[in-house]
Amino acid sequence: MAGGGSRTNIAVKDIALIGVMTAIIEVSKLALSFLPNVELVSFWIILFSIVFGWRIFFVVPVFVLIEGSIYGFGIWWVMYLYMWPLLAILARIFRRQTSVWFWSCLSGIFGLLFGLGCALPYVVIGTGKSGILGGLYAGFTWWVAGIPWDILHGVSNFVLMLALYKPMRSVMNRLRKQGIAAE
Amino acid sequence: MEETKKTNKKAVIGIAAVAALVVILAIVYVVFRQKPVEGSKAITITVVNKAAEETTYEVKTDAEYLRQAMEEAEGLTFSGAESEYGMMVDTVNGERADYNLDGAYWSFYINGEYCNYGIDTQPVADKDAFSICYTLAQ
Repeated sequence: MAGGGSRTNIAVKDIALIGVMTAIIEVSKLALSFLPNVELVSFWIILFSIVFGWRIFFVVPVFVLIEGSIYGFGIWWVMYLYMWPLLAILARIFRRQTSVWFWSCLSGIFGLLFGLGCALPYVVIGTGKSGILGGLYAGFTWWVAGIPWDILHGVSNFVLMLALYKPMRSVMNRLRKQGIAAE
Repeated sequence: MEETKKTNKKAVIGIAAVAALVVILAIVYVVFRQKPVEGSKAITITVVNKAAEETTYEVKTDAEYLRQAMEEAEGLTFSGAESEYGMMVDTVNGERADYNLDGAYWSFYINGEYCNYGIDTQPVADKDAFSICYTLAQ
């Protein structure tokens, strides 16, 4: 239990760390909410996934739940249920990568394809109403309408990761060395 | 030296990959986005100013409510205070009707009848003729 080394038992330190990570993500999101589609959520989820490992899979559901509590549980919330965990999974898969360019690309491409992924509920709803072709058309038109925002999302994700990855990664590594968290 | 070369190569590949995806998305958007179509309702909005001069705007619109149709009328400008009932128009084409100053206000008519709704909730139907008149309280 102590030290947080076990995956089956969560130490108090882990719970505190999960809370701090969630708070950082939420506050960053609120702070940038005046800039449409420019966000630090992707950056933090990637970084926390790399540095603090399995804890991200507690952080993301809590973050998504808080978002729903603040803004209401609309269709966008269903998108959050799978889009943010998907990013965390991708970051865990590639966690051994150290190139800032790799992570900038991943974050940028995630932003660029965010709308495409989010179109899934519209495909499902459209399919229920007018068959698979109707569903695909509904999802496609919804995605296309939002492409300019996806481009802004992807480019800003790329730039933010490029600017912040190295300094924040070294801070996080230092924290880990001081025993904040163990894998 | 070798390390720098590798980093540069990664940077070029990274930027090229993101840029290529941006270009693909932009092409998809340009080709498949919903093109604006001419509105299906033909309406007229006539402004009668303080000097009783009439200016008529012909608008083709899909607007559900008058406010959006007014916004689409080329050359027509208006402003006012936002309230829980929508915008209370006090200025049309730069001319202000100040009820507190001289009892003047802008009255709205639809097909000759006084509008029962504010501009945010006044429905728009095909062939409607709206009038916006500078009016002095009796």
